[in-house]
Amino acid sequence: MATVTMPQLGETVVEGTITKWLKQEGDTVAQDEPLFEISTDKVDTEVPSPVAGTLVRIAVQEGQTVSVGTELATIDAGDGAAESAAQPEVAAPATSSSEQAPPAGATPPAQAPAAPAASAPATAAPAASAPADGGERSAILSPLVRRLAEEHDVDLSKVTGTGTGGRITKADVMAFVESGGGAQTPAAGPSAPAGAPAASEAQSPPAVGAPAASASPAAPAAPPAAATPPAAQTPERPPTAHLPEAGGAPAAPPTPTLAGAQAPAPQTPAPQTATPQTAAPQTAAPQTGSQPATLAEDEELVPLTRMRQVIAQHMVGSVQTSARAWTLVEVNMENVVRLREMAKDSFGEREGVPLTYMPFIASAVDDALLAFPYVNAELRGDQLVLRKHVNLGIAVALEDGLIVPVVVGTDSMNIAGLARAINDVATRARNRQLKPDEVHGSTFTITNPGPFGSIMSVPIINQPNAAILAFDTIEKRPVVVGDAIAIRHMVYLSMSWDHRIIDGSTAAQFLARVKENLETWDFAPEVGLPAGS
Amino acid sequence: MGLRAGGRPPRGKLNAVRPDGSPAAAAALIRPQGLVPYAQANEEMHALAARRLAGEIPDTLILLEHPPVYTAGRRWKPEHLRWARDQMEAAGAELHLVDRGGSVTFHGPGQLVGYPILDLGIRPDVLAYVRALEGVVIRACEDAGVGGLGRNPVNSGVWAGDRKVCAIGVRVMRMRVTLHGFALNCTTDLSWYDAIVPCGLTDEGVTSLSQLAGREITTGEMAPLVAARFAEQFGLDLRPEVPATVPA
Repeated sequence: MATVTMPQLGETVVEGTITKWLKQEGDTVAQDEPLFEISTDKVDTEVPSPVAGTLVRIAVQEGQTVSVGTELATIDAGDGAAESAAQPEVAAPATSSSEQAPPAGATPPAQAPAAPAASAPATAAPAASAPADGGERSAILSPLVRRLAEEHDVDLSKVTGTGTGGRITKADVMAFVESGGGAQTPAAGPSAPAGAPAASEAQSPPAVGAPAASASPAAPAAPPAAATPPAAQTPERPPTAHLPEAGGAPAAPPTPTLAGAQAPAPQTPAPQTATPQTAAPQTAAPQTGSQPATLAEDEELVPLTRMRQVIAQHMVGSVQTSARAWTLVEVNMENVVRLREMAKDSFGEREGVPLTYMPFIASAVDDALLAFPYVNAELRGDQLVLRKHVNLGIAVALEDGLIVPVVVGTDSMNIAGLARAINDVATRARNRQLKPDEVHGSTFTITNPGPFGSIMSVPIINQPNAAILAFDTIEKRPVVVGDAIAIRHMVYLSMSWDHRIIDGSTAAQFLARVKENLETWDFAPEVGLPAGS
Repeated sequence: MGLRAGGRPPRGKLNAVRPDGSPAAAAALIRPQGLVPYAQANEEMHALAARRLAGEIPDTLILLEHPPVYTAGRRWKPEHLRWARDQMEAAGAELHLVDRGGSVTFHGPGQLVGYPILDLGIRPDVLAYVRALEGVVIRACEDAGVGGLGRNPVNSGVWAGDRKVCAIGVRVMRMRVTLHGFALNCTTDLSWYDAIVPCGLTDEGVTSLSQLAGREITTGEMAPLVAARFAEQFGLDLRPEVPATVPA
């Protein structure tokens, strides 16, 4: 279900009058097909439908004047049978998630594998086979099916799917429950509850997608942990002090910490909550458990935080999932830098948020994403989800990791709106005040490692996005202008992109569009300056 | 009130900052001669807007004159018509109900009508666009020696005191491309307005540039001035196109 709201047709426009519905309740409407007309002052504006589907409800009748943001209509973007037959959700995850109460239901496909995977510690063998299988299928589970499975403690890896392509439907789950499958499966018993907390913890840490650069502080911690065994066999450094606990003990503490108190791990050798993605790198875990005693005196064992575990899962998962390629352009930021310098003080006073470069980049990117929808797409199975809107994921560095809150509908925001929205989610991300659904549903991600002085980064794609853009430090560089060498503010915009979805020509054209936007757009009126200033 | 800061005008291109020194966005000026029947212009304008939406043509400005015709926008009310339709037709003017904002207005010889077909981009600020159009006309009239024109706090258009010299009514196709536009009275026979309550405003009158200036200011004199200010406002490199698209 998609909700259609009164669009904002200008900074000073606060309301609009519905002059005409071009579709009636029950009519089907194609995406971008004119849906209704609104009147503001001397302008009649034809508004296209944001999605394809069936117009199921008109909430505001012709002739009524309502304020911007008022809900006008509901469009069923599914096939109408979605709810009763539990068809796999094809509709936008962002929208459907808001209707599903349990946080677990709100997790997008990419996150889904985490739930079945949580059962891995219970038994070693299923861990290898079940997640791979169940993970793939759960990636196309509808929120309804996931919720049912949770309510009935059903291990979905044991349910036979009868839907299209073997997908598990509501009927499959109910049949499984009626046959006595629910809540009884020995291994699944503990696993399902374990999965639930994992999903609900999504609130704070599920930092999806991360720039390689900003994951720096703690990232090296993971490899050394796994690399401990070799080091242990060459005890050139005698273990002495510096360890928080007596020599041999540290093996145990990490185990309960990692496995979590809610699901006492029946077996010690599998301390990590292994997921399909992380299974490979963490095969060294048992060894870590048996040999940490031989830490050198200047080495230290630090348990991986929950956030780092999630980041690790997502990063490895992304690299294993996508065919990552990388493209770089250099952009002349003279225009933007000059405008920002002129406007930042008054802007800050007026808007109450600092004027950073992020809104300019975001605005230029939004336009390019709409022009190149495949860069804004998502691969689901063997189908692509194309969109006519942009939800930007903004990577926010935290002290102990990073998180990617999502700003919904950035393509309808101007610079001031972007500045406010981005500042809002970034601030709340740092204060751990994000709501669970605010870290899901991005269609593209931007990361800015620039503040730390880097000039170029190769980020890892934030799944299930098709690409991620990094912009680093804007600095003065000598450039050739005409036949002379001049000093200009320049920046490198680099993009990691999924070669399964787009090719180099698209990536290059997309970046060229972003570059052209930044170099030629007149942002002046949007930052409170006269046009052309 | 001007094109206020923070409002979102259609994004102009800043030719000055393009590193390769390339000029502003190319745009077409269509300037058919003679009087273009309203229905024909209306149809052509919609076709061009659809092509603009599809990215097949650049931003375009049509400047023309119509034979006498009354048009009523979506917000028209019966009381805005003082004459019956037959009466209008007897006088030689058609009445068209059209899909623009605003109420009833008149077009006819001596009035420069502008139909901008502009892509406002993905986040149009339609009010800023109307303000921008007003600015274009105000500056073009100053160029012709008619100063002191301004906006009206309540009603769109360009005003000389309480008399309107230029009416504005706009439609935005698919929330993106503009249709309809402005109508500037140059040497218009103002008695045509007796048939209607222009724009639904009972207390205000209409005027023309010639009346204001005390000399004849023709559409031929105003067209290049308007085109120049239009190009400046929207950052366009406006080049005349052979008037084949809208045959005169």
